[in-house]
Amino acid sequence: MTHISVQKKLLAADGEMQLNVNITLEQGKLTAIYGPSGAGKTSLLRIIAGLLKADKGSIIVNQKTWLDSSKNIFLKPQERKVGFVFQEYALFPNMTVQENLLFALDKGQNKKNVDDLIAITELENLKNRKPENLSGGQKQRVALARALVRKPDVLMLDEPLSSLDLSMRNKLQDYILKVHKEYNLTTVLISHEVGEIVKMSDTVIILEKGEVVKQGKPFDVFTNKQISGKFQFTGDIINIQKEDIIYVVTILIGISFVKVVAEENEIIDLNIGDTVMVASKAFNPIFQKIK
Amino acid sequence: MNVLNGKIAAIETNGSLSIIEIQIGSIFFKTILIETPNSVSYLKEENEVKVIFKETEVVIGKGTEHVVSLQNKITGTINDIEKGALLSKLRIKTSVGIITSIITTSSVLKLDLNVNETVTAMIKTNEIMLSQ
Amino acid sequence: MIEWQPLFLTFKLALVTTALLLIIAVPLSYWLAYSKSKVKPIIETLVSMPLVLPPTVLGFYLLIAFSPSSTVGNWLNDYLDLQLIFSFQGLVFASIIYSLPFMVQPLQSGFTNISTSIIEASYVLGKTKTETLFKVLLPNMKSSILTGLVLAFAHTIGEFGVVLMIGGNIPGETKVASIAIYDEVEALNYTMANTYSIILFAITFSILLLVYIVNGGYIKQFKK
Repeated sequence: MTHISVQKKLLAADGEMQLNVNITLEQGKLTAIYGPSGAGKTSLLRIIAGLLKADKGSIIVNQKTWLDSSKNIFLKPQERKVGFVFQEYALFPNMTVQENLLFALDKGQNKKNVDDLIAITELENLKNRKPENLSGGQKQRVALARALVRKPDVLMLDEPLSSLDLSMRNKLQDYILKVHKEYNLTTVLISHEVGEIVKMSDTVIILEKGEVVKQGKPFDVFTNKQISGKFQFTGDIINIQKEDIIYVVTILIGISFVKVVAEENEIIDLNIGDTVMVASKAFNPIFQKIK
Repeated sequence: MNVLNGKIAAIETNGSLSIIEIQIGSIFFKTILIETPNSVSYLKEENEVKVIFKETEVVIGKGTEHVVSLQNKITGTINDIEKGALLSKLRIKTSVGIITSIITTSSVLKLDLNVNETVTAMIKTNEIMLSQ
Repeated sequence: MIEWQPLFLTFKLALVTTALLLIIAVPLSYWLAYSKSKVKPIIETLVSMPLVLPPTVLGFYLLIAFSPSSTVGNWLNDYLDLQLIFSFQGLVFASIIYSLPFMVQPLQSGFTNISTSIIEASYVLGKTKTETLFKVLLPNMKSSILTGLVLAFAHTIGEFGVVLMIGGNIPGETKVASIAIYDEVEALNYTMANTYSIILFAITFSILLLVYIVNGGYIKQFKK
């Protein structure tokens, strides 16, 4: 269990902003943080990691106090066991993939851990390469593996997939989920993608102007209600076209396009680019084996 | 999308399937779900729910008496018809509000459906979704 | 016959100065790169002063400060048995100050060019600032270090004013090549002056050329 209750005055684009967050992270659960840019998401992660000092508050991770302003306790980032995956990877350019991971080892820690992580993230063939010779997705895999070497109490991912293309993103999501489960991690993920959050997280926290405005199961939070349709996906509208007396809405779900028939009243509030939930009853879809 | 407000009248569960009976005004609709009262909290008798079904799933019968397997039936009068080349949209005034149906234009012609005519709107049990 | 001693002395001075400068400049430029202290601009200015100040001004003040009749000079003489006037040690000291900006500025910009997230990544992996400095920062700014080393080395070779003021012209102790050239010219011995000059020219040219080749134009921004 991780309790975070922090306050900090931040300088946002439109003046000062008070970050005021009071949340609990459960062991083994993946919590997503969602919100507009400038809402304080990255600052919150940096405060948890100790890279940014909160004005006031406390952070207690598995009964260990990382921060308690009332008792003047502030553990340095080095003293907190955190894994941090930066948006821009932040791999050490002078080290190979394997060396990047070995560097992360604590004194006396078993090297086998590094080998295990290289195996889990399927980096065997790349382990002697320098970061400059890796693709974005490969770099992010290394960054993820490196963040896990010390078996962190909290793993933090700051929009780790935002610069990757869709198919790469899907793969990376699976890697993250795999290690999250395998190591029973407490993971915090910043993401702008509703679909990604619904797929990956157990809980989502919506942060706006430094305040938690909503939290709960991603599906409930994003759809506001429960629908009994079992065939449900989140996607982005990429086209709306009138055909005869109906409308055909094309929606990108993951890397697949689907078309949904809609009636005039339904599309009034919809625009291209909107994120929507597509639902159908489990009784309708059919499938054919292809492999 | 047709949305009607109703109240759960009865729940019959077998394994992970449930048949839910919903009272909408004076009529009852049934739906089958892969959910049980244990899996979702809103499946409780007396709970208010929204009954959702697509226009394209609404079958139209001329008149009031039909021998068919469909259990969800409601009679009303045709409020207006919008005819397209292939498809037509019918708005049917019923005791629970307007229900929209999209059927082929050829069916409209074959059945000779006209405004103010009494028809029965029918929806298959597996086409109805519930929402809180 | 050419005397090799001034040339030898020049390179010895340049080597010792450069080595000591590296040791001094790494922490200094690290501090300058990351500190948010209010005195930082003052320190930055002081470090850069030798760039604009006539070397004779620096030499003059060092001469005054270290002369045996001054308090500092006295203290150094009495307690450390250190004679900084007209001695090789004095030359080293003066050269360090004189070439400081040539080492500090490339290093400082090397530090600031490293993205903060890399440094933070090292911290969250539990590494101390010192470990991060030696294992992450310095290995990733090799070209800056090379630039600093070469500039400081070359600049020390080219030193004249400071050396003349504080070192004088003692053969084998303070008579470096640039002084020897001046000496030969004074004595109208142009052939010898030319020999020294050509050797200095050739060596500094080769060193700088090597750096340009290795660093690919990187050095330009510091030579403005």
